[in-house]
Amino acid sequence: MLLYLIRRLVLAVAIVVLAVTLLFVMIHAVPGDPASIMLGPRATPEQRALLHETMGLDRPLPVQIVGFFADVVRGDMGTDVFTQRPVSQIVFGEMPYTIVLILTSITWAALVGIPLGCYSAIRRNSLIDKFIGVFSVGTIAIPSFVMAVYALLIFAVLLGWLPAIGAGEGFWDGVRHLILPAFAVGVGWVGYISRIVRASMLEVLGESHVRMARAFGLPERRIILRYALRLAILPTVTVLGVGMAHLLSAAVFAEVVFARPGLGALIVNAVGTRNYPVVMGTVLVTTALFVISTTLSDLINAALDPRVRESL
Amino acid sequence: MKSRKGYSLNRREFLQVSAMTTAGIMASGMSLSQAIWAQESSKGGILRVRSYADINKLDPGFYQNAYNVDVMNCIYSKLIHYKPGSEWETELQAAEWIEQVDPTHIRFKLREGIMFTGGYGEMTAEDVKFSFERVIEHNSPVKDDWGPLDHVEVEDDYTGVIVLKSPFEPLWNVTLPYGVGHIVSKKAVLEATEDGGDFGMEPPSFSGPYILDEWRPNQVVILKRNPEWTGPKPGFDEIRILPIGDPRTAETAYRSGDLDFTHISLSTLDEFKSNPPQDTVIEERPSLYYVYVGMNTENPKLQDINVRRAVQWAINVPQLLEVGYFGQAEVATGMVAPGLVGHREQALIPPEGDLEKAREYLREAGAEGISLRIDVLNESKFTAMAEMLQAQLGQIGITLEIDVQDPGSFWSIGMESEGDRWQDMELILQRFSMVPDPYYATTFFTCEQVGNWNWERFCNERFDELNAEAVTVQDEEERAEMYREMQDLLEESGAYRFLTHEGSPFVYRESVMTPATRPDGRPLFRFFDPV
Repeated sequence: MLLYLIRRLVLAVAIVVLAVTLLFVMIHAVPGDPASIMLGPRATPEQRALLHETMGLDRPLPVQIVGFFADVVRGDMGTDVFTQRPVSQIVFGEMPYTIVLILTSITWAALVGIPLGCYSAIRRNSLIDKFIGVFSVGTIAIPSFVMAVYALLIFAVLLGWLPAIGAGEGFWDGVRHLILPAFAVGVGWVGYISRIVRASMLEVLGESHVRMARAFGLPERRIILRYALRLAILPTVTVLGVGMAHLLSAAVFAEVVFARPGLGALIVNAVGTRNYPVVMGTVLVTTALFVISTTLSDLINAALDPRVRESL
Repeated sequence: MKSRKGYSLNRREFLQVSAMTTAGIMASGMSLSQAIWAQESSKGGILRVRSYADINKLDPGFYQNAYNVDVMNCIYSKLIHYKPGSEWETELQAAEWIEQVDPTHIRFKLREGIMFTGGYGEMTAEDVKFSFERVIEHNSPVKDDWGPLDHVEVEDDYTGVIVLKSPFEPLWNVTLPYGVGHIVSKKAVLEATEDGGDFGMEPPSFSGPYILDEWRPNQVVILKRNPEWTGPKPGFDEIRILPIGDPRTAETAYRSGDLDFTHISLSTLDEFKSNPPQDTVIEERPSLYYVYVGMNTENPKLQDINVRRAVQWAINVPQLLEVGYFGQAEVATGMVAPGLVGHREQALIPPEGDLEKAREYLREAGAEGISLRIDVLNESKFTAMAEMLQAQLGQIGITLEIDVQDPGSFWSIGMESEGDRWQDMELILQRFSMVPDPYYATTFFTCEQVGNWNWERFCNERFDELNAEAVTVQDEEERAEMYREMQDLLEESGAYRFLTHEGSPFVYRESVMTPATRPDGRPLFRFFDPV
């Protein structure tokens, strides 16, 4: 297990370095000049050149990327081109909003999707199974941003039950502000999770250990929860781990549509203004989040399934 | 210049008002204490407004964008400010009086008792001198706003003279009432920065009716009343400025009641008019932006003026505006918007163009069947206009390719410092912001700006002469005539087809406030009054 963890850690660092390097090269390959945007149209070419020098943009690309990683190792992610604030302060200030949004979205999606999938498998081919099937496919098919816009119009504008924008102040206000974005981001995942759980459950329910449990006369509830669902949930856990990355993308639109703070909105603005230090810092953190979430899902799989544990 | 508010009440009026108020209270069934409380609580309160971007610079000497200046207007004072209303006028703010002694000397006297927060004392002429001169000394990117400033002479604590090297007329329209005109505390800034340079996002002291209470990046800017403010009490206790980039999101937020004031897009103006939210007033103001189709005069395909003229005459501006702005934007006659010095009554080319003439020019150039490319920003209005342009040029046999670009890429297309892309630039759908003086626009089209912001690479000696001279002319009509001629020169070069100044509609809840804006609809939050 320890060896496995060390291997995963090394792999995680390699993934982060590779992803950030690739992005660094890509963002410098496309045209754009942060100095022009920062200094505005009145600035002279000399003033822009001076800013390039200050930002280190006049150095060769490999030198810049090595310098970036060296600074990161020292705990310095650079300085925002516009506000002159430390990038780490900006990114870690925005990160909690995105993490809360993602976790809330995936949690409610899982809490609804898993029972639906489970129930659907148990009542296979029933009317309810068919209804859940249609509902699931429907939620997957409708794009999240469409859902977001209509949720806004209905619950914020028409009914006035929930706020339309922002992240709120304090716990309960924060919760109120979280409902619509989390609904919009997570709703597609309800269907997705329920379809995966249904398929896995059907497979597991046909396995010999489940038939054996039934033969022993164990209560159906215990068979489902203890012997079937525990195994059927494994693919879902893996999917949820990878899904965190997709949810990071979904958070981008949610943060724009609901004018919420977060890494998504931050990176969109930073790319548009070629604010390289903020782009790099945000990508570094989001890549790290992705690697952490996939590693966690692997570890949960290992904890739930002895076969996986033994193979490590 | 008159003060913004000069209310007075004689005895008879006082009795009338008192009697009416008492009758009103009795009719409403409220107790007197309830009525007094209701009246007090209706003063002040929280104003929730939208800004299209988050602040990123609060040092007025190094200001970057209008949305930063919106906040500076509230937290600092300046000698004069734009008068809220529909005419471009200024009125006194920190200055008790200000006068042009001669073309290069402007004498002023500060009002007494304007205090800097944080124990930095009263505002003095020394602070004015420091605030203005640091813009030049520290090589600010906006030092051009101060034009030929030489120095500021301090006569006593409150009186001083701004000395220019040469006359500079935009000083009255832009320099003093806008960004670099704000006055900061010399002592506070020197303590915060040592050399008096850019203090970025951390103002060391405030001198306006509001102070920056909190800034939560990408969430909200909270301004609260300045307890040390000695001037007229501002309307609201607190102003919350929410940065919302997407206009649709802002409009939804307004409809849901999360905002009390926001600009809306021209594309939704009709929707708001036909279905306005409760208590909503919609105001339409002309904006100062100028949108045009530019042509790179040094690109081999466009070197022949006849090709450029063919494009100019093939463009039907009202049609473009119909698809880009749903018919809600007026046709521009040049880069100078109506109401500003130098606005032209009409362009040289009629708005609808003339296809026959366009074909003729193309024949003369021997360029029938030519293919061109236009670069546009990735916003729906620009892509829609580009598609219409594609159809219009198609009518004279020009094939137009559309290249949609993100802002980071778009805003460096014509810059020589960004490699060779400027050589490939052919047509561009351009939109520039503007302040209320024509100098700000024309200065981008001089020979000196070729390869910097003059992407059409238009270079004309007469234009440069006029541009240099016009800032020194004090006679308004003479100055206006010079700017009109400059716009004629731009158009005659074939490199420009001016389209529109767009528009600046905004909405607000009349049950909450009476807003105060510049003639172009730009909000002046410090003058917003609660209802």
